[in-house]
Amino acid sequence: MHPPGIVKAALRAGVDAIAVCDHNSAENVAAVHRAGRKAGLAVLAGMEVTTEEEVHIVALLPDLESALTLQSRVYRALPGRNNDALFGLQVIANEEEEVLGFTDRLLVGATTWPVETVVAAIHELGGLAIAAHVDRERFGIIGQLGMIPPGLELDAIEVSARTPLPAARAQYAAPRGLSVLTASDAHEPKDVGKAVTYMLLERPEYAEVRQALAGRNGRAILGGGRPMEDLSLHILDIAQNAVEAGATRVDIDLVEDRAADLLAIGVRDNGRGMDRATAAAATDPFFTTRTTRRVGMGLPLLAAAARAAGGVLSLESEPGQGTRVKATFRYSHIDRAPLGDIETTLMVLLAGNPDVDVLFRHVVSGREFSLCSKDVRAALPGENLTSSHGLALLREAIRRGESQLAR
Amino acid sequence: MTVAEAAKKLNGTVTGVQADTSREVLGGYVSDLLSDVMTNAQEGDLWVTLQKHPNIVAVAHVRGLAGVVLINGRQPEPETVARAIEEHVPIVSTSLSAFEAVGILYGLGVRRRRNL
Repeated sequence: MHPPGIVKAALRAGVDAIAVCDHNSAENVAAVHRAGRKAGLAVLAGMEVTTEEEVHIVALLPDLESALTLQSRVYRALPGRNNDALFGLQVIANEEEEVLGFTDRLLVGATTWPVETVVAAIHELGGLAIAAHVDRERFGIIGQLGMIPPGLELDAIEVSARTPLPAARAQYAAPRGLSVLTASDAHEPKDVGKAVTYMLLERPEYAEVRQALAGRNGRAILGGGRPMEDLSLHILDIAQNAVEAGATRVDIDLVEDRAADLLAIGVRDNGRGMDRATAAAATDPFFTTRTTRRVGMGLPLLAAAARAAGGVLSLESEPGQGTRVKATFRYSHIDRAPLGDIETTLMVLLAGNPDVDVLFRHVVSGREFSLCSKDVRAALPGENLTSSHGLALLREAIRRGESQLAR
Repeated sequence: MTVAEAAKKLNGTVTGVQADTSREVLGGYVSDLLSDVMTNAQEGDLWVTLQKHPNIVAVAHVRGLAGVVLINGRQPEPETVARAIEEHVPIVSTSLSAFEAVGILYGLGVRRRRNL
């Protein structure tokens, strides 16, 4: 546990908030929180509690105090002592990376609490109970218990980075309308930000996340994915770049042509554009004009992803004439990155930039789905695109269109 | 052999409706992952496990199992008992370990059955 290293990794991954969720412990929350505050990263208090049935439940808690209260209760229900040789030392660190001590409780063990007791204990402290990595057989609630127990009052379910969100929604969430999150489940700093959830919040803080999970007061879960991998999030990244370059209109073209073994991404904007030297440098991994956080890994990584799949990335731009990015991939290439979740791309882009005109076109072997943000706004007279009704309408339109392509 | 007879051999106590223990044990399965039981246990199996969560009744009911054996002296949760009565799933609690319980059942001729 190296609090500054975790914070640095999170900032590098471009996230606004992380939750520290050690197994059955909150010893390190305070240090990471302090390190985060110095660096401008929101750090939520959490814990990954192991139930008696060996189900992992992630607790998100309102503050450090409630996390430490949960910790003292969990410790009383946690039998066993750690074996350093087997599981390593369980370090308690401070924000200066100094070791404060060790805990000798068997943190990898299971508590004596059934899943219902764990959820109730979290709720009693005002926290949120999230079934962790439900797509994993071991320690996932469905693997361990065959199904989510009816009547268990979960606030959300989480899938690991290995399950794309569309599959997760179809498989796990639909029956009970639970929010689906994804997260890196990072056990090492290098994995922080590998999978992220996008939320529409006023500020990255616990009370806001709580409302987003419940879909209340204009807060919402917009989607999620793997920013370094999913092509859908690369598209989001380019489109966000366009908006930052002052674009009022962004056209996105996504073509999947299996017969021609081609996947092509095109993003065109009417932003301020770039001169030749800047355009040439834009695919250089060490170049950025951004002063704010980025969403994905930027053009250099997309260029590398295209090359790895037998394709190319091209960028055309002129000052005052906007920018046009095109990336191609061999569709069937074994190293072609997964497309990911288009719903997330559009939800985050439109909800985050409700005044920008976005024209999205997705063609799959001749069938086409197109979505124009102007049309969505027109269907919402006197109402904001980011109202809960607006977001629901938008989501519904995207799902309908995308599902017709999948047939 | 019925569930009642198996319970006797395991020195176990039965939870649930006594009449349900007259069900014939057609085979056996042992696992603590309920998803695995859902996939691999066969109708009429006696299922040996340490899980005592109410979901074991749902799994046993859905798979049409003969009954559930809880090992290491584990007692079903009250909610589990209520559902066991409701769904007619007999639960046997034994102080034996899974190893010992399965050994005894195997000695009595209970076998793992493949897909029917």
